[in-house]
Amino acid sequence: MTPAAAPAANASSRPPAAAAIALAAAVAALAFTFLHAESQAAVGWIAASSVAAVLAAARLGALRWASRGALARERTTSVALAAGLAALVLAFHDDHFTLLLLARVLLVATACLGLHVQFGMAGVVNFAGAAFFGIGSYTAAVLAGRTSVPHVAVLAAAGALAALVGSVLLLPLLRTRGHYAALITIAFGIGFRTFLEVNDALGGPQGLNVAGFSLLGFSFNENWTVRGVEVSFYVAYVALAFLLLGGAFAVVRRLETSWIGLALDAVRLDETAAASFGVRVPRWKIGAFTLGNFVTGVAGALSAMMTGYIAPNAFTFQESLVFVSIVLLGGIGNAWGLLLATFLVVVVPEKLQAIQEYRFLLFASLVVLVLVFRPSGLVPRALRRRFGEAP
Amino acid sequence: MPIPRPCLPILVLALAAAPAAAKDTVKIAFVGPLTGGNSAIGLGGRNSADLAVRLRNADPKARHQYELVVLDDECKPDAGVQVATRAAADRSVAAGVTHYCSVVAMATTGVYHRFGLPTVVWGAVLPDITYGHDFKEIHRVNGTMINQNETAAKFMLGQGYKTWVVVHDTTDYGKGHDKYFTQFATAGGAKILADFGVGADQQDFTAELTQAKSLKPDVVYFGGLTPIGVRIRQQMDKLGLDAEFQGTSGIVNDDFIRALGPLAEGVVAFREGADATKLPGGKFFLEKYAAQGYPQGPEAYGPFAYVAAELLMDTIEKVGPDRKKIIAELANVRNRDSIVGTITFDEHGQNVVPVITKYVVQDGKWVLWEDSEYASGKRKLKGRR
Amino acid sequence: MDAGLLGQYVVNGAMLGMMYALVALGFTLFFGVLDVIQFAHGDVVTAGAFAGLATALALSAAGVRSDAALLVAVALAAILSMAALGVALARALVLPLRSAPPLNVLLVTLMAGTVLRECIRLFFPNGSQPHRFPALLPSGAFVLGGLTLRHDNLLMLGAGVLLVVGMHLLIRRTRLGLAIRAVAQDEETARTMGIDFERIVLVTFAIGSGLAAVAGTMHGLYYNEVNFGSGLLLGVIGFSAAIIGGLGNIYGAILGGFVFAALQTLGAAALPFASAYKDVFAFAVVIVLMTIRPTGLIGERVSERV
Repeated sequence: MTPAAAPAANASSRPPAAAAIALAAAVAALAFTFLHAESQAAVGWIAASSVAAVLAAARLGALRWASRGALARERTTSVALAAGLAALVLAFHDDHFTLLLLARVLLVATACLGLHVQFGMAGVVNFAGAAFFGIGSYTAAVLAGRTSVPHVAVLAAAGALAALVGSVLLLPLLRTRGHYAALITIAFGIGFRTFLEVNDALGGPQGLNVAGFSLLGFSFNENWTVRGVEVSFYVAYVALAFLLLGGAFAVVRRLETSWIGLALDAVRLDETAAASFGVRVPRWKIGAFTLGNFVTGVAGALSAMMTGYIAPNAFTFQESLVFVSIVLLGGIGNAWGLLLATFLVVVVPEKLQAIQEYRFLLFASLVVLVLVFRPSGLVPRALRRRFGEAP
Repeated sequence: MPIPRPCLPILVLALAAAPAAAKDTVKIAFVGPLTGGNSAIGLGGRNSADLAVRLRNADPKARHQYELVVLDDECKPDAGVQVATRAAADRSVAAGVTHYCSVVAMATTGVYHRFGLPTVVWGAVLPDITYGHDFKEIHRVNGTMINQNETAAKFMLGQGYKTWVVVHDTTDYGKGHDKYFTQFATAGGAKILADFGVGADQQDFTAELTQAKSLKPDVVYFGGLTPIGVRIRQQMDKLGLDAEFQGTSGIVNDDFIRALGPLAEGVVAFREGADATKLPGGKFFLEKYAAQGYPQGPEAYGPFAYVAAELLMDTIEKVGPDRKKIIAELANVRNRDSIVGTITFDEHGQNVVPVITKYVVQDGKWVLWEDSEYASGKRKLKGRR
Repeated sequence: MDAGLLGQYVVNGAMLGMMYALVALGFTLFFGVLDVIQFAHGDVVTAGAFAGLATALALSAAGVRSDAALLVAVALAAILSMAALGVALARALVLPLRSAPPLNVLLVTLMAGTVLRECIRLFFPNGSQPHRFPALLPSGAFVLGGLTLRHDNLLMLGAGVLLVVGMHLLIRRTRLGLAIRAVAQDEETARTMGIDFERIVLVTFAIGSGLAAVAGTMHGLYYNEVNFGSGLLLGVIGFSAAIIGGLGNIYGAILGGFVFAALQTLGAAALPFASAYKDVFAFAVVIVLMTIRPTGLIGERVSERV
């Protein structure tokens, strides 16, 4: 059930593919038990025992063995994880709520991958993630509600618009650094939300209905039956969200391991040195910021179509901070850690519903504890070992 | 209270052996904002619904045992859809007492409809929540902001006021109130000198109020909730803006008065539904609420959450915990007595509220206008002779 | 617009600017010594106000009637407790995370701020509602035409100016100030000069958080109302002010505080029928300002363009 099950002693003699599969299986099993847990006590027990299991696995070296193997065989890992997700979907095929939660995890992870490109890779901070997510959402609401543009094109348009609006910030962002650049995005995020709220053209504070996604006449908002078994309509959303995430993830990993990733590393670590070695700093910053916003916008569009309703108070500064928290908690610059962090940040508060008004207090305390014990995030970025290899 | 699985069969046997306790448990969801800026009202509603369930469970005549499943919608549409799906997709939940925030109530109507969960809204005031669709699942015990502002405008014009400055927060609550009040007031011949939209977490209103002061209005109309209502009233005084302060249902609670002290004197506000203290059941509610020792007060909408829970449990007692039957039965609710006045659902599931209660603060208490010394002429509202 | 009205805007804006400046000073001090953003700072301001309120309520219940005595007690309790809180935050969260990516300090303090805010909401009696803060300052006013100059506002402005001058003297004229400046300039060198780095950091956090407590108390006295949720926005504004001025520069923080207050007042007053857009206006101007002066109004002197 957990990586502890894998014997640590003969770790070195095993082929790495087994490690990748073992890790993926462990992750899927853990996700299953956690999503399945209903009562307060069960959630508590599972959380406590999984933390203990992970610690034990780390102690025994199994975690290191599995994660090393997994990273060395990234394709196997991806396939194994996809299979794990498919197993989860199969297990929860008629459980609407759990599937909704899963789809949300996938979409938030996609949005955060956008931020990952921006400040994990190029070092361009963005505290307005929710705003770009919101631009995507509103684009979807308007295009799907008032025009007959095919919905796949709506997703692309939403990403493009997010990138376009983001280009307003390019000049200020290129001129500033670090915290000064952070302030620019903060200002944009807060201003954007107020603008939506005050302006009635886009529904004002009351928000807008958003049509559900449909593809070639197939509506994603209908349940289907397979051989007499009712399947939740959210399965389609999970599948599509997984495609988006998978696509974005593949692009990001490809970039990271290519010379582009190397150039972005240089820009992030020392702009001056990078410039003096002929790396065109503005070009890379513009590219990363625009690509990131595109990805975030696409995720926002599908999220809006899945939720069916959007309003300005879903895109507040606090939401942007949640996105930033995910990227940092995962271990800034580590795309794999980001997936783990998203799962925790989206699912844990939901599982804490039983403690009602105390849940954010507990959640925030947990994050503080995690950071005290793992100051660089859950899975810190490893050093790039040599060119062409996964960092 | 979660019970370890191996113990369950034993427990079931034990329960079956005691015939008096052998009731099946019916789950009812309560959804409202338990965290964030609106949590005071959310917690008041939660406590009130909880009280209704406790009282019912203590009643030996009840056919079912009830369990309240409490969910936090955070006042955000995406979180709301998430918890609404959780409640509605769970077949063991028979019905729901749902939402204070209008945006969330709007976002979730589709979810309840899809899964066929009968719900009674306990606080959200936007008209479209019941009138924007034909879903049979959605009901509402409280009135809409249309009713409230029609009465408010008529009443204030009747007092002889002519000019207003409107300050409202830019949420759906504040903007809706602004829209309907302006509509009814100008139709009645009032003049709106200025209209300020302010942030729901704004702290400083001196710039807006300084401008308002230079316009010399008779009344400052405030559409919003207690926190910024308190700030605006406080800052009006600091700046010497001496106008009557008129509020909406969002400020009708003891905290408004406690936070303002003597400055609250003479503030008027309006709320849908009858006053709890005026009806026989209302006194009972307030006494029982106090006896439970909840850390928060019931707030303006607590009685509605209580009534919504009561209404659902009455229905379940009658037709059983079957969602379809509950929906069918709720359509027949006519002239039902409750602690917020009689309840009659129209074809949209909206309670056709016969009364809007007018309140004025007198000696540190919200007093019914009709009972107040202001109505009898002993005291005067600001600017009245 | 007549002079009285204009004067009123100026006085209101000045009060607002003073509070922002005090909050921004904390941000800039912390950044100076450690190069980190302490994002719980806004919530420390709120916690300071609540600590003051609790003291006032306890003493009033114990029968203390003198406003002056209450005021001194409230201010002292708020400052001391928040200074202690600041030191605790620095010791438990900020210093241990020094080797982590700098943004992680931002995240951990952000979450600590959430914990603080939720604690006030859940554990202060009736904490989810606004509370009345007692008026402890004389309440009279000079009325000059359309301008109302309240005594309490003037006293608070005066106190703020004194505090700012005091900070200037502390940083420029004392050994402690010299040590703080040395640490801010170069930690390594400061250490070799025999400066106890950790002690200076903790003292700086105590001072910054104490200033936040003053801002919180002032906030309470000015608005006569405190509530649990004001910290996040206040934190963002304080951070913005510190950045607009130029991080690490105490004069920049003060200037930034007043600039931000001026923008907000201007936005609400000059856009008469679109006052709801004032935040959009203020933040848009901030973006433009930052574009023109990328390292703040009183910028850090950097030259690294190649």
